[in-house]
Amino acid sequence: MTSSAPTLTTLATGPLASVRAWLGLYATQMRVAIASQIQYRVSNYFYMIGMVTEPVIYLVVWSTVARQQGGSVGGFTPGEFAAYYIVWTLVRNMNIALTPWAWEERVRGGDLAGMLLRPVHPIHLDLAGLAGWKAVVIVLWLPIAAFLSLLFQPTFSIEPLGVVVFFIAIWGAYVLRSMFLWLLGLVTFWTTRVGPVFDIFFTAELLLSGRLVPMSLMPDWARRIADFLPFQWTFSFPIEALIGKLPPDQLLGGLAMQGLWIAISASIVAVTWRLAVRRFAAVGG
Amino acid sequence: MPDPAIRVTALEKTFRVPVREAGLANAVRSLFRREHRDVRAVDGVTFQIAPGEVVGFLGPNGAGKTTTLKMLSGLLYPTGGEATVLGHVPARREAAFLRRITMVMGNRNQLQWDLPALDSFELIRAIYRLEPVDFRRTRDEFIELLDLGTLVDKPVRNLSLGERMKMEFVGALLHRPQVLFLDEPTLGLDVTMQKRIRTFVAEYNRRYGATVLLTSHYMADVEALCRRVVVIHHGRILFDGALTALSANFDTTKTIGVTLSDGSTDLSGYGEVLSVEDGRVILRVARADAPNVTTRLLRDLPVADLTIEDPPIEDVIERVFADARDERAASEAAGPR
Amino acid sequence: MDQQGARFDDRPDPFRAVRLFVLFFRIGALNELQYRANFAVQLFQSALALATGLAVLGLVFGQTTSLGGWTQAELLAVMGVHILVGGIIRTAIQPNMERLMTDVRQGTLDFVLTKPADAQVIVSVREFRIWQAVDIVVGAIVLAIAIGQLEGGIGLGAALVFGATLLLGASMVYCFWLILTTAAFWIVRMDELHELFDGLYQSGRWPVTIYPGWLRISLTFLVPIAFAVTVPAEALTSRLTIETLALATAFAAVLFVVTRWFWRFGLRNYSGASA
Repeated sequence: MTSSAPTLTTLATGPLASVRAWLGLYATQMRVAIASQIQYRVSNYFYMIGMVTEPVIYLVVWSTVARQQGGSVGGFTPGEFAAYYIVWTLVRNMNIALTPWAWEERVRGGDLAGMLLRPVHPIHLDLAGLAGWKAVVIVLWLPIAAFLSLLFQPTFSIEPLGVVVFFIAIWGAYVLRSMFLWLLGLVTFWTTRVGPVFDIFFTAELLLSGRLVPMSLMPDWARRIADFLPFQWTFSFPIEALIGKLPPDQLLGGLAMQGLWIAISASIVAVTWRLAVRRFAAVGG
Repeated sequence: MPDPAIRVTALEKTFRVPVREAGLANAVRSLFRREHRDVRAVDGVTFQIAPGEVVGFLGPNGAGKTTTLKMLSGLLYPTGGEATVLGHVPARREAAFLRRITMVMGNRNQLQWDLPALDSFELIRAIYRLEPVDFRRTRDEFIELLDLGTLVDKPVRNLSLGERMKMEFVGALLHRPQVLFLDEPTLGLDVTMQKRIRTFVAEYNRRYGATVLLTSHYMADVEALCRRVVVIHHGRILFDGALTALSANFDTTKTIGVTLSDGSTDLSGYGEVLSVEDGRVILRVARADAPNVTTRLLRDLPVADLTIEDPPIEDVIERVFADARDERAASEAAGPR
Repeated sequence: MDQQGARFDDRPDPFRAVRLFVLFFRIGALNELQYRANFAVQLFQSALALATGLAVLGLVFGQTTSLGGWTQAELLAVMGVHILVGGIIRTAIQPNMERLMTDVRQGTLDFVLTKPADAQVIVSVREFRIWQAVDIVVGAIVLAIAIGQLEGGIGLGAALVFGATLLLGASMVYCFWLILTTAAFWIVRMDELHELFDGLYQSGRWPVTIYPGWLRISLTFLVPIAFAVTVPAEALTSRLTIETLALATAFAAVLFVVTRWFWRFGLRNYSGASA
């Protein structure tokens, strides 16, 4: 056995190697998350049924209204509502990010210390981990989506560009929402009474994102407020991209807006994370 | 002498603790004007540790051991003084620094609970960007050293506490860190498991020349691994030197536990009786007298069971503290400071 | 010979369950009164939820004057019942069931089983979260306002029937929760149960009659949300038929018997979580 000076066993450096290392990290963490989630199929199905109930309620209410109003309301027919809310279920699975409540346990339970000892920013492990979880739930989601389509007869007017934009936009929605929920979670570093803060955020999101109703059903003033907020890029935009409600310029403009918001939120996360760590390291875990 | 692996100079950590008084009125008032009290957890600690050295860090709960370890690993920022580890300032938490250290805390689990440890090891490989061939060699070497061959395929949740801790060690050392901070790594483990982990740490230190700073409540850990100990109390260093010096200076007794088959318990003729419980007598005797007393007990009495133990580490340290208090009192009495 | 231990009161006590409930309620209330700040938080959360609910109603009635034959005032009444029953569930039912689940997982249910009282009664009355009762009050207020807007108000008879159906509904929800929680004897990890129920319960915000048949039947007999929210609301809006009332009574009785049987069956199989 050697007793010489210890050698570091890291991979070669350089831009290409670095990219490969990052991809490797994401792939490994996703694999680990998938292997772990597959063991909890029953739990995941429970989650799925609870999750699907929400859009089904909205769908039933609004298609009832549309039928009473002579076939459409806010530009949506019952079939289009069905398309909207069925795509909603996929977008919802995609934009689920780490709940801000998890931070309380991370700080108190000591997981945070372990994260800080790792030589990578913990947001990467969160992003990759939940991406792996999505791979599992989307497999579970497929039969539910088929079932809902059979029952509610959605009408799509799918365009190739819309489909392409959709597949980019659901990942954009995921990253964007992850950034905001991370930021929200970091509030835990400064105060323990986080509940009201989270509640305000989630209520605003519910009303101003297209999660509750398509934005075209909201009053004008609410839509004007929503234009200055990130929420609609995480729900309404990807949904409407796929069901064919958006012209090409809005499709591409939407992606640009997502990118802009991701850049903004990621910078805020970077700064806030530093402040949060500084605070944690000052007061102790 | 080579550059020290760890250099700590007048290190300080003061926590601001909000003072809270009972009652609704006080609770409301504290919303507007918080009153704080400063608590000095580490109060001017200075020491150096050479590369490859294994040092035991001793002291009672709340002495400042964990706070110091956390400052050295970058989890806490010092409020005063300086610390460098392998030439890095820990508080900067540079990736290059984090790749060269590790911290193991007893009863903490870093591995994926629902998966076999092998999967977690892969993740660690990706996080530390370890070269695959080298990684596999290190991993298999550790697995063999700790005799974990049949367990790496089982979900971590199905392992016993000791097995889990061994896996934890493998995971914590896969990147072959040069500095190990071990905070109560054997907490709650049974004696064989403790021994196993000690042997492993010793072997790792021997093979890779790593520097180890260890805290433990188990004297056996410290005795097996550390030639040098640093004793800390109320955030200050009371003793820094060879373990043998500590024992010789402060730990001058042994405790003998005896159970007699005839049920009698009067053994005051053999040593100082510390306690009698369910027919079991605990005696304290001078270290040098222990063999002699044991021989007499076995010869004279119907002994059903007999154990000889070192006093617990708390007792030894207690004595260090007692002496330190006396010294300080003496120096304070000697004149104004 | 000396009497060993305390003397027992062996007289039959038909109100034992009620007495136990009152006892545990007092302890729980005293405990929570220490955390007054939680009251403010709960008040805030209830207000936010109420505002959201009203916003949704506003959106719907911005587009239409009735939904599935229900007017705005009637739907406000449904919302009031929904909030009120939700408050009852979160105050008294859910906390007990979550504690039971924890007990099963950690093997601490044995402490309950060794007590000389009916285990089902004990596990059902141990926890009480008084601050959640804010929702009961909010629900009642919304309900009162809705009734004020209803044409002709309501008579004493309707009020009595409403009370009765509310009780029946709450007992059915309790049975539903206990059956699911008892399943935790076999399936130890049921973390998502709470979220599943919350998700399904949201459907009660609207009268179940607007849902398509398969969903309406599920929300009536699989998850008794129709009985807990829609039926009491029907009692208030002169929609309740004798047949529905009889069905609710019969189903509540059957469900109660089945729950009791299932609970005992579960207990027989319970061997304590050895892990």
